[in-house]
Amino acid sequence: MQENTSYVELRHINKHFGDFQASKDINFAIPKGRLVALLGPSGSGKTTILRMIAGLENPDSGEILIDGKVVNNIPGSERGIGFVFQNYALFRYMTVYDNIAFGLRVKKASKEEIDQRVRELLKLINCEGLEKRYPSQLSGGQRQRVAFARALAPNPQLLLLDEPFAAIDAKVRLELRTWLREMITQLHITSIFVTHDQDEAIEVADDIIVTNQGRVEQDGTPQELYSNPATSFVARFLGNSIPVKNYHEFQYFGAEGPDTEAILRPEFISIYKKGENVQFKKSAEEGVVQDIIFRGSSLEIRVLLHGNLLSAIRSINDPPVQIGETVDVFIHRLFIIDGDKITLADNQSLKRESVII
Amino acid sequence: MKLSKRARRSVIPGFGLSFGIMIAILSLVVLIPLCSLVVYTAQLSPSNFFRTITQPRVLSSYYVSISTAFVASLINAGMGLVLAWVLVRYNFPGKRFIDGIIELPFALPTAVAGISLTHLTTTNGWVGQFFYEHFGLKIAYTRVGITVALVFIGIPFVVRSVQPVLEKLDQQYEEAAMILGASRGTIFRRVIFPEILPALISGFTLAFARSIGEYGSVVFIAGNTPYETEIAPLMIMAQLQEFDYASATSIALVMLAIAFIILSVNAFLQSRVSKRVSGLA
Amino acid sequence: MQLRKDIGVLKWVLIILCVVFLAVMLLLPLVYIVITALREGIGTYLAAITDTYARKAALLTIEATVWAVVINTLFGLCAAWCLTKFAFRGKKILSTFIDLPVTVSPIIAGLIYVLTFGRQSPLYPILDQAGIQIIFAVPGIVLATIFVTFPFISRELIPVLSAQGTDEEEAAALMGAGTFTIFRKVTLPHIKWALLYGVVLCTARAMGEFGAVSVLSGHLRGKTNTLPLYVELLYQGYDFTGAFAASSLLVIMAIIILVLRCWLEHKGDKANDIR
Repeated sequence: MQENTSYVELRHINKHFGDFQASKDINFAIPKGRLVALLGPSGSGKTTILRMIAGLENPDSGEILIDGKVVNNIPGSERGIGFVFQNYALFRYMTVYDNIAFGLRVKKASKEEIDQRVRELLKLINCEGLEKRYPSQLSGGQRQRVAFARALAPNPQLLLLDEPFAAIDAKVRLELRTWLREMITQLHITSIFVTHDQDEAIEVADDIIVTNQGRVEQDGTPQELYSNPATSFVARFLGNSIPVKNYHEFQYFGAEGPDTEAILRPEFISIYKKGENVQFKKSAEEGVVQDIIFRGSSLEIRVLLHGNLLSAIRSINDPPVQIGETVDVFIHRLFIIDGDKITLADNQSLKRESVII
Repeated sequence: MKLSKRARRSVIPGFGLSFGIMIAILSLVVLIPLCSLVVYTAQLSPSNFFRTITQPRVLSSYYVSISTAFVASLINAGMGLVLAWVLVRYNFPGKRFIDGIIELPFALPTAVAGISLTHLTTTNGWVGQFFYEHFGLKIAYTRVGITVALVFIGIPFVVRSVQPVLEKLDQQYEEAAMILGASRGTIFRRVIFPEILPALISGFTLAFARSIGEYGSVVFIAGNTPYETEIAPLMIMAQLQEFDYASATSIALVMLAIAFIILSVNAFLQSRVSKRVSGLA
Repeated sequence: MQLRKDIGVLKWVLIILCVVFLAVMLLLPLVYIVITALREGIGTYLAAITDTYARKAALLTIEATVWAVVINTLFGLCAAWCLTKFAFRGKKILSTFIDLPVTVSPIIAGLIYVLTFGRQSPLYPILDQAGIQIIFAVPGIVLATIFVTFPFISRELIPVLSAQGTDEEEAAALMGAGTFTIFRKVTLPHIKWALLYGVVLCTARAMGEFGAVSVLSGHLRGKTNTLPLYVELLYQGYDFTGAFAASSLLVIMAIIILVLRCWLEHKGDKANDIR
């Protein structure tokens, strides 16, 4: 993220609510046109950051810049932002049309202009014909799209969304994610959304800012965060991470220090049936299958290895394994956490083989 | 651009204006008069104060006010509970009408209620005659009459406190208790009653506090015999008519203290119950 | 449902108990007023209620009620807006002061105004010089009426507004809407029915107030007598037909208010369903 092209920037932001410090020295910059996720567990301060950018809260100290200007003392309504609230905050006593038109009416746009813009947005969100309805007569997905259209109506330069998918059922949520990503990419509007759902962040966002206990842990693309977590929190938070204390008992991994711990993800582990002819057979260890969970497109195998219950993914096309079966388990790599330091350790047999070849 | 600290705290505008109007009206109507009460109280001499409030006639007026208000509120607590129960749990013709007229004591001016109740309960009134001839009970111009008037004005308090709680009460608790084999009486005593007790107490104290200060409906029916049926508000009124503001204030202060104690006891009981329910005890 | 079907006998015993209780305690006094008012014929009744003093008393009652409703509506809207849409210190104390007037005996309410504006008050010389008389005059009656109905409207509005939250107002403010636009377009539709309900309650109590007004009124026939005070005056003078005739006016108002109240409650519940 290059500073000179950044559209939104936070510098040394601190914020207290009474005794509770919601933001501790927050710094980040978001380039123009990017779709960024603020990801973190609840209470990590992500919504506070979003509300400060919108001008709904004021930081105790630090600067917020939008388009190169410090906006700390500019009211939210003059920051050129659109805001989608968690529960949408649609005006319950106004029709869909009046909801979307509200921002334009306040800005005293002409009647024709308003009508044209509202029709355009209704088309964009696929809600033509619903303009006379009240929010209570819409489905969850429709409400979300109306809230989106309402935020977009006055042509904001920056779109802020607070947990945009939290209030929607699982199935519609998946559709809306894709829809929102397409919309935002198409409109090319700088957008920040808050979420506690890592899948949502990874799937929708160009960049992710991970927050924890009021701090920014790491920011980067989903791939960067996933493959190079900067802190143990990020390593634990992303992916289906399983902590392992006695990782030095695993073959081909050495102990890195007395108080270290390893983190394994399902994609780090391969499971083979006895007699299956595969590449890493020789350096695999024996484990016992404890549970098999059907995940739709794949199977999650729970396997016991050196007293640790590990998770691995196996294709449904591979020969099936049974509960209680002894299988070969090969660990490709793992994260080793030493205090705040985090390193990626590869299976040493892989190195040896590459040396031999 | 410089904005005041208050305005910066919220994006919603209009704080200054609404706060200003609120404080202005609050000051004129409540705060300034209250201050003048405090100032006037500070000027009272303690010895005069104690002499006034310990006059036998004044003491007996406190006793009359408190005892009749207490009995009336107890009756209202019982009847209010039954009324709320009937209105929530049963369906019968005329239910909506009954629900509507519960509020009558709020809507009917107290003085009007007072003269009507008085006429009805004198020894030759429609109701009074019946009680006098059959039970030898005089209602109007006795403490019984005062209690009747206070029952009248207190009816809505308990009903309107208990009714919403009873409506919201989850039927599942009762069903669970029934499946476990509890009898109807046990279910009411052990499951329903504890749930509505806080609302019942709060309705009782509201009715109690209101009854102690009630004037309009009581003066007519009380007869106002010194030491017998003279209520405390009437004592204040009498001092005011003689322009003896010091005595009036002294008597009023004691009444304010009593009202304050009643409401504090309620607040204490409510917080204890809510602690027990939320498990923070 | 099994539980709803209570033992028949108990159910009817309780219902009959309630009906008898309410009939004797509430309806009988009401009916009695009407019957007594009409006892000496419709002509006497009409003469009693069209009496000059009765008319003047009714007008003064209306005046005081209108003042109380207007001031308390303005106050209620401002207080509810302030207390639910903003965070600031001292909210609890403010709420306590707002609710205080209904817990104070009406006689004491009258007393504190006498202490504030009466002859012994430090304010008296100033007011006297300006030619303003409050105690034993119409302004005192109006103030007393405002005082006893003070929290009636704010108390109806505050729960509705605090349940509604601040999201909609924030959304409107972020789009640049001003105070009055937000209030009119966003907030008011939410509290419309609660506000009307509060106004009805306020009206009911305002026109019936007796104690506080009695302290502050000079009891001047045709000048500072409200309808309830006029009823008392006639009653003390043993003009029972006149007293009950004047009362019947207040009974009619009370019935109108009860009907309005039921209708508004019904409307408000419906509006709740929209949310």
